[in-house]
Amino acid sequence: MSPADPAGLGRARAAGFVLPALVLIGVFLVFPALWTIYLGLTDYRLTGLAAADPQVVGLGNYTSALEDERFRNSLWLTVQYVLGSAVVGQAVLGFALAWVLRNRPGPVKRVVEGLVLLAWILPSSVVAFLWIALLDRDAGTLNALLHTPGFAWLLDHPMPSIIVFNVWRGTAFSMMLYGAALENVPPSHLETARLAGASTFQQLRDVVLPRIKGHVLTNLLLISLWTFNDFTSFQITAGGPEGRSEILPVYIYNVALSGGQLGFGAAISFLVLLVNLVFAFVYLRLLRGRREAVSP
Amino acid sequence: MISLSGLTKEFPGGVRAIDSLDLEIADGEFFALLGPSGCGKTTLLRTIAGLEAPTSGNVSIGGVDVTGTPPGRRDVAMVFQDYALFPHMDVTANIAYPLRIKKVPRARREARAAETASRLSLSGLLARRPGQLSGGQQQRVALARAVASHPKVFLFDEPLSNLDARLRLEARTFLKRLQRELAVTTVFVTHDQGEALALADRIAVMDAGRIVQVGTPPEVFHRPAGTFVASFIGSTPMNLLPGAAQGGALHVAGVVLPLPPGVEDGPLVYGLRPEYADLSQSAPPERNASFAGKVAVVENLGTSYLVTLDTGDALVQVVVPEGPPGTGAPEPGAPAWAVPRPGRALLYRDDALLAHI
Repeated sequence: MSPADPAGLGRARAAGFVLPALVLIGVFLVFPALWTIYLGLTDYRLTGLAAADPQVVGLGNYTSALEDERFRNSLWLTVQYVLGSAVVGQAVLGFALAWVLRNRPGPVKRVVEGLVLLAWILPSSVVAFLWIALLDRDAGTLNALLHTPGFAWLLDHPMPSIIVFNVWRGTAFSMMLYGAALENVPPSHLETARLAGASTFQQLRDVVLPRIKGHVLTNLLLISLWTFNDFTSFQITAGGPEGRSEILPVYIYNVALSGGQLGFGAAISFLVLLVNLVFAFVYLRLLRGRREAVSP
Repeated sequence: MISLSGLTKEFPGGVRAIDSLDLEIADGEFFALLGPSGCGKTTLLRTIAGLEAPTSGNVSIGGVDVTGTPPGRRDVAMVFQDYALFPHMDVTANIAYPLRIKKVPRARREARAAETASRLSLSGLLARRPGQLSGGQQQRVALARAVASHPKVFLFDEPLSNLDARLRLEARTFLKRLQRELAVTTVFVTHDQGEALALADRIAVMDAGRIVQVGTPPEVFHRPAGTFVASFIGSTPMNLLPGAAQGGALHVAGVVLPLPPGVEDGPLVYGLRPEYADLSQSAPPERNASFAGKVAVVENLGTSYLVTLDTGDALVQVVVPEGPPGTGAPEPGAPAWAVPRPGRALLYRDDALLAHI
């Protein structure tokens, strides 16, 4: 057995073991991705003439997308959504929860963590229904609580609504990640800062953040990526009214499946894929950098 | 001056780490809190620092009641067992950190850090990170950080316990000299009685959240207030033998010893440090006042031996200095006599010191 072949299988048999998995990945992952790229270069539609006989239009879909007001609006809404609900909302709230709960004894901590986790693990259709019930104009819980009958949250403030919704929905991950990260901060370091007279802000800046920098970056990348691709809000506002909460995944769905422009939708999908690849690339670089820092 | 009155700390779940404790520590004093783990000494130190809030009682520093004052406003500096150096800051930044929080201008605080560092022989290391320093250097940086902020009180939590044995002796001497020079009131926690005896001006021996005895090292060593202190202080545990006073004589482990006047009849505990007895391998002249037995165990201590004598009634330990070159250790199984030195044995009744004999 050579070091290059520790299992002693030989090249052919080893390939035989890997092949089924490779076939699955090829059929269900690589092929659709390539197919999407191809579709993006055509005027393929769900119905009509172009469905029977799609024509290659080259980069036409891309140029028309970049000129399309609706696409640019959707991109801008997506940026708001990612910054508002992930970077600011989930990350900050998750850290705040982890920080406040870090030394809390038993029941309080368990109850809060349980509730936050529940929002994370419930099926999206269930939480979407919960939020529609909460924000409904006529019989919504929020209007009943605030004594504002008839206030149409989802119509008048669709973006803030889905941003708050996504913060509520996804904070659990940040809270757990930061909770674990804070365990790495030695109590004596915080106490040294306290004895020096450091305020909470100074303790966070001088002691906590330098310790958990890696965790913060990892968390921001992951939740940004997930939020960027998030489709749950479709079940609440479906992108409306008038596209005012139409973030990219919803836009693609509306254009490609509701609007039937499969080719155009595929082109946008490819753009989204590129953004995802950038995120993934940065994340991998970061992980490698950290691993090298740990084992020089 | 630090004064504690009626201090009690009860943790959730009903554990009393400190139990209505009173203590006064004088200005400039080097004061040790000594006790086995779990006795409450670290909790007491942390309560003085303000890191723990007492359940009841008061802490005052320099005549000011600081019971409700946050740690940052008590003007105390603490050195933790793990040194708590910030890994992302260099030595200068670590030493100057408390000054930075107090908004001392950069140039001034760096000058003060450099000056403190040179006093603690750290001058060549100012640009290094803690990860690039040895254990002894890290300990000195932690000390320098405490010194540079010129506090009213130093609090040291087991400052030497993370050093290896040889370095610990050096650091001990260094620490004592530093404290003498700075003359800052210092409270330190240790479970090592040798460290407490060597460093402290006064020692408080603690057990189960209470102070059992406060005294200078000679007082605590020679006149332990109770059998707990007697067995805890000393590098070899004191022989504590049950005995009884009867008709003006002390009966202990088969030996009858004279009693000083005024000791009433009744049970007693006879305490004798292994260092305060001589071992004789032949019947000594004072054989009536000696513990006769067989050598059971011989432990080599370098320049002496710790010999355990089995008298049949009890085990008696004696420290025997090595003889002239060429002579060996006592042989296990050989008959021997332990002769107590006069005036060195202690008598306890109801766990209180009664007399010396």
